[in-house]
Amino acid sequence: MRIGYLAFSVAIFAGLLVLGWVTHGTGIVKDDPERNIVIPDELTSELQVKAAYDGTRIWFRYRWPVDRPSLFNDVLVYQDGEWEERGGEALGPNPEFLTEDRVAMMIDDGSVPLFGRYGGYITIGDGLTTFTGTPETEEERTKYLPSTRTDPDDFETVKPESDLETLRAAGQFIDLWQWRSSRSNPIGLGDDGYVAEERGGDEGAGPYTTNWDAATNQPKYMFNPEVAGAAALSIDAVIAGDVGFNDTYYLSAETAAPFDPDYAWKNGDAIPRRYLRPTSGSRGDVAQPKAARWRNGFWDVTLVRDMDTGNPLDDKIFRDGGSYDLAFAVFRNASTMRWHYVTLPVSLGLEQPAQMVAERIEPGTEPGWTQPWTEITTFYPGQITWGRLTDPRQHPGADRIAQRVPVAYRHSEEQLALYSVQLEFGREIKRQWIWTLIASLGLIVGMGININLLMRRREDAK
Amino acid sequence: MTRPTETLRPSMRARRKDDMNRPGMMQRGLRIGLATAALTLAATGAALAHSEGGGVTVAVEGTPSWSLSPVYHILAAHFPVALWMTAYLFILIRSFSDSEFAVRLQKAIWPLAALGTIAGFVTYGLGLTIYPWSAITESPLGRNHIMLATWTLSYWTVMSVLGYRFRRHLYDGAQRWITFTLATIGAMAITITGTLGGSLTGTPSLVTKSLGWIGWNVYMTFYLPTWMLVVYGVGAALLIVIGVAGRRRLA
Repeated sequence: MRIGYLAFSVAIFAGLLVLGWVTHGTGIVKDDPERNIVIPDELTSELQVKAAYDGTRIWFRYRWPVDRPSLFNDVLVYQDGEWEERGGEALGPNPEFLTEDRVAMMIDDGSVPLFGRYGGYITIGDGLTTFTGTPETEEERTKYLPSTRTDPDDFETVKPESDLETLRAAGQFIDLWQWRSSRSNPIGLGDDGYVAEERGGDEGAGPYTTNWDAATNQPKYMFNPEVAGAAALSIDAVIAGDVGFNDTYYLSAETAAPFDPDYAWKNGDAIPRRYLRPTSGSRGDVAQPKAARWRNGFWDVTLVRDMDTGNPLDDKIFRDGGSYDLAFAVFRNASTMRWHYVTLPVSLGLEQPAQMVAERIEPGTEPGWTQPWTEITTFYPGQITWGRLTDPRQHPGADRIAQRVPVAYRHSEEQLALYSVQLEFGREIKRQWIWTLIASLGLIVGMGININLLMRRREDAK
Repeated sequence: MTRPTETLRPSMRARRKDDMNRPGMMQRGLRIGLATAALTLAATGAALAHSEGGGVTVAVEGTPSWSLSPVYHILAAHFPVALWMTAYLFILIRSFSDSEFAVRLQKAIWPLAALGTIAGFVTYGLGLTIYPWSAITESPLGRNHIMLATWTLSYWTVMSVLGYRFRRHLYDGAQRWITFTLATIGAMAITITGTLGGSLTGTPSLVTKSLGWIGWNVYMTFYLPTWMLVVYGVGAALLIVIGVAGRRRLA
């Protein structure tokens, strides 16, 4: 009988442990748009990269999985006599697929302290746009380098212009290449920018401008009906993904005509909010050999640039035999802002030992791309700031960062992604964890009392 | 040292006499404790001597001055793990065997468990000095390690009390299977705590991966949903009620 009580008690105890095991980790992590929190369905993904150079130009080829390509970034939709803006920035994935796919690559030549060990993490200051608790500001609060602030954790403490120029001359900036499925790809261009005191574009004209005339409150351009077959697309077809590469889906000198307000516009007519144009100046250094296409579930994009652009204050100059640090970001599933996937830093060698070795090809030829892909894991970075990572009161590994231990030595991409998600619910999870600790201790004590009461000594039984 | 010829008398009378000889046992326990403490101190000193002069020392703003190197915690952690797991091994043998050898081992179980618990408290305390509380409780892996260490320590404290109170009776009849089941749960807790500690220092093991296969990614904080917390509270109360009711009914 006593054994029956004991067995029943142990069964309850073990059953509760199993039930706890099965139900743990539930009830807290869920989308919370009010706090700008949207958790991606997939926390990690893959990016494949190759590089080649001929002594004058350097090519990078990127390939990453995308279930549905996003050919539009933002559009103007006609509705009851008004043109409304739709798409572009969104919290998490844009359900209408009106946010473009992108790939971005940060490049450093060893001039930026710690970039080669921590990659893009060093550029994430406190209070950036879309971070939980950051109020909406007219101007985007972009990533920046810690050295450009008197207080690296305070976005507002930008150093004087003369200091920034000194830093720039010393190479303390990150070169930023970008490819955009809507705002650069259709006309075979890339976009050349930088990260220093802000994330910005190099000198010159970028591949797109805004198709909006603020004076008349209407678009500047529409589709040329003679080229596109109509002056506008149908928003329903755009959202449904029925507009593809074989359609005229972008505005450029070849496809656009000046906007005609007297055209017989009807509700649901859609015009891209961006007008694509040739680039100029330093910003136009990055281009594509040809416009990329999405095939079989993957974007396959190639960007090319002169190794020496002649703009050493805007670009990192590639030299034969050189070693560089790269970090990538991939935007997929119609997501933008911080809802992208990033990589840890990757070393690049131009015929030098590195994680990724750029192949040297004959001058004046095009890459044959015969070398294997470098497989890189991408992950959701969440809202982890450099200030948090370097604060020993918030990050147990802060001393390791002070000792310059590379992030990849201690953390995997999957681990970082999981930590990122949990940090977005840090307060709630910590509170629940403490309660779990208390409740489980209570259970152990309860079990201990139970066994002490029910166990018998043989002589007791007599 | 225990002399088998004296302690293994088969008759109940002899056992009672042995139980009454508590002062001698306490002295022996004291000697074992002192020897363990001396060994711990010596090993700590050795670790301290070997940890100096390597690498680059970096002052990190905000780090508490009382922070101790993880090396002491890691060093000390071997003691409770070894003692508890040895106790578990002996419980395992005793549960399945009534041989003289198993009975001899049985006598060492509760001292091993109790020494392990004492060493466990030291290890736990050393662990809490490594990082600021605010920092380690921001880390999911840190939280998990603290959680499992707390479970393990409290659980083996309970086991030590059980061992001390009931000694050989833990293996009387079917009670041995209760003991075996409880000890197995305790051994699992030790294993998970240890592997989490390894993961925290950057050396995850196959156990870390195995936990993922059975539903717990250790890089996710282990916490229960609120309704489950209530269930645990009710469960704890129910266990006590069953204990009290069972004792009264069977008295």
